[in-house]
Amino acid sequence: MSDLHIASVTKLFGETSVLKGVTLDVKDGEFISLVGPSGCGKSTLLRIIAGLETPTTGTIAIGGADVTQLRAADRNLSMVFQSYALYPHLTVAENIAVPLQMRQMTALQRLPLLGGLLPSARAQAGDIAQAVSHAAQILEIAPLLDRKPGQLSGGQRQRVALGRALVRDPAAFLLDEPLSNLDAKLRVQTRTEIAELHRRLQATFIYVTHDQVEAMTMSDRIAVMMGGEILQCAPPDVIYEDPDDIRVAEFIGSPKINILPVERNGTVLTVFDQVLSAHFSADSPKLMQMGLRPEALRLTQTAPLLTGRVVHLENLGAEIFAQVALDSNGSRVTLRAIPAQRHSLGLGVQVGLSFDLNSVMLFDADGARLRKAEVAATRAAEVA
Amino acid sequence: MTRDWWKHLVLILGAIIVLAPFYMMVSYSFKSPGEIDRGEGGFFGRQEMMIDPRCVALRQPGRADIEAARARFVGQDDASVQASLLAETEADCSMRPALFNYSKAFTEAPLVRYLLNGVAVTLSIFLIQSVVALPAAYALAKLNFWGRDAVFGLVLFCLLIPVHAIALPLYIGLAKLGLTNTYAALVVPWTISVFGIFLMRQFFMTVPDDLIDAARMDGMSELAIVWRVMLPTAIPALLAFAIFSVVAHWNDYFWPRIVVTGNRDLFTPPLGLREFKGDGDGSFFGPMMATATVIVTPLIVAFLLAQRRFIDGITLSGMK
Repeated sequence: MSDLHIASVTKLFGETSVLKGVTLDVKDGEFISLVGPSGCGKSTLLRIIAGLETPTTGTIAIGGADVTQLRAADRNLSMVFQSYALYPHLTVAENIAVPLQMRQMTALQRLPLLGGLLPSARAQAGDIAQAVSHAAQILEIAPLLDRKPGQLSGGQRQRVALGRALVRDPAAFLLDEPLSNLDAKLRVQTRTEIAELHRRLQATFIYVTHDQVEAMTMSDRIAVMMGGEILQCAPPDVIYEDPDDIRVAEFIGSPKINILPVERNGTVLTVFDQVLSAHFSADSPKLMQMGLRPEALRLTQTAPLLTGRVVHLENLGAEIFAQVALDSNGSRVTLRAIPAQRHSLGLGVQVGLSFDLNSVMLFDADGARLRKAEVAATRAAEVA
Repeated sequence: MTRDWWKHLVLILGAIIVLAPFYMMVSYSFKSPGEIDRGEGGFFGRQEMMIDPRCVALRQPGRADIEAARARFVGQDDASVQASLLAETEADCSMRPALFNYSKAFTEAPLVRYLLNGVAVTLSIFLIQSVVALPAAYALAKLNFWGRDAVFGLVLFCLLIPVHAIALPLYIGLAKLGLTNTYAALVVPWTISVFGIFLMRQFFMTVPDDLIDAARMDGMSELAIVWRVMLPTAIPALLAFAIFSVVAHWNDYFWPRIVVTGNRDLFTPPLGLREFKGDGDGSFFGPMMATATVIVTPLIVAFLLAQRRFIDGITLSGMK
C-alpha cells in the first residue's frame, strides 16, 4: 500500500511561514494535483513529501509508516523536476539506470572497473538493462538510449526524466511542474501521455502545477493552495462547480469568474438595485459577493438583470468571450457566447444580461461560500 | 588597418618578451659550446661534428693501449701510433651538437628518474588535493550547516598566506616527524589546496540544485553525489585547477630544494638542472638547456591535450 498521509505540516523559512498546517490524505493510485499561484507553498510541500526539506512541525506517512525523519533516498519516491535534472555526463540509458544501480547494487558492484568483473554485478547489470529498455519502450525513447542529454530536445529530455522516475517501482511519483519548460503543443500532448501513464501504472501521482488546465485535465482530485494552506481538495468538477472559497472560484476557470456585490435588505436580495429574489429568508450577512461563471451569463432583451456595453471581444472560433462594462458601476463582466450570437455582439454595443439563480454562487465578505443562502435564494425565486 | 593596431603591437611585444627565454633555451639545446659562447649559428647552429673533450680526456691512450695496438700499425713508432689512436678516439667521441646535448642530458644525471619522481610527486599532490577539495567545495557550496560562512571565510583567508611565509615552520614540523628526504615531504604540505577548494566551490555554486536533489531521490548518499554527479560535471573546472597545480609543483624548485637535501634519488626535474651547474670547468649550457627543454615538454604537451578537453568539457555543460 502506498497511501500518503500529510498531517498538519508547517514550514518556516527563517521568519517566513511558507506552509501553515497542511493536512492531506492521498489514496493509493490517486492522481492529485497541487495547484496555486507561485509562492503558495506547493513546491515546498512536494519537497517535504520527497524528503528534500524537513517540515518545521507535522508528519508525513507513506503506507502507514512515519517517514518524517527519513532521508529522501530511503523513502522510495520518484520525482520529476521542472528542469529535468538529467545527469549531463551520462547517456540516456545510464541516466535511467542510475536509480536501479543505486538501490539494487552494492557499493562494491558499482565500482567502475572492478565491479564489472564480479559475476553478481554482471547479472544485476543485465536485469537493469532489461528494466531500462522496458521503460524506454513505454516512453518510446528506445532510439535515444545512447545519446547524451545535451543532444536531446526539451520534450525528449522530459521523457527521459519520466523514464528515470518510472524505471523502479516507487511508492509514489512526485512531479514538479514537469511541463512548464515545453512549448504549448508539446505540453498538451505530454499532458495526455502522463494521464495515460497514470492509468496504466495505477500508481500514486502528486503533481505540482500553476496551470489550472493541467490540474483540471489530469487529476482525480485537485488541492488548491494559497498562502501556505490548502483551500479545497476535491475532484476537478467539484472544484469548478462548487468551490468552497472565493479564491478557489477565482483561481480555477478561464476566463475568470465574475464577482458582483449582492445586498440583502430584509428579505429582498438585490444586485445593483435589481431584485434577484423578493422572499429571501435565510440568515445571511447584509453584504455578500456573487460568483457567476462566464457561461452562466446569457444575452437577453427582455427584463435584463444587468446592462452594459461590450468593450472587448475575443473570438476563439468555437466560442466568443465578450467583456461587458456594466452601466451600474463600470465594472467588467465576462460573458461566454456561442458563434451564432456573434451578430448581436459588437464593440460598443449595448447588451442586456441575465442569469439563473441556480448558477449563482454566494460568498460572504471574507470569501467563504454561503451554500444555505444559495438554496434559500433559489427556493425563493421558484416560489415567486 | 584597424584602429586597434597598437593593442596588437603591445600584445606581440609581450609575447616576444615571454617567448624569448624559451627560444634561447631550445636554441642553446641544439648548439655546440663554441656557438653558444660566441652567439652564432642561428636557431639550430651549424650542427658541425664536434668532439666531446671530456670523452677524449677519459679515453686518453696509455702505454698499454699503444702496445696492444702495435700490431695494427706495423712499422710505425710510438708517437705516430699514439697519434693514430688519438685520432680514432676523437672520431669515436665526435658527434653532432644536438645529439651531444640531449645524450648528455640523459647520461650525465639520471634524468629519467627525476622525471618519474616529478610525475609521481605532482600526480600524488593533484590527486590528494582533489580528494580533499571536491567534498569540501561541495559542502561549502551546497550543504547548509552551522558555521559554513565562517569556514568559507577561513578558506579565503588562507588564500592570502604566501607559501614562503610558512616554509620554515613546515620544514621544522616535517623534520621533527623525521620526514625530510622522503616523498612524503614533497607531497604532504601541498595536499590541502585552499585555492582548489575555492575554485571548485565557485564552480559548484553554478550546478543547479535540482540535479543534486534528483541524485538524492535516486538514492545517492552525499559522498556518492560528490563522486558520481559533481565530479563529472566539474571536469572543466578540475582541469583548470589541474593546470595550476601541476605546473606549480612540476616547476617548483624552492620546496624540493628545502626538504630534499642529500638523496639524489628523490630529485625532481628542476633539482636535476643543478647537475649541470658549472663548478670549476665552466657551465654545460648545451646539456643544461637540453635538460630544461626535456623538463618543460611534458607540461606543454599536457596543456595542449587538456586544452582540447577544456572545450569538450564546456560543451558538456548544456544541462538545461
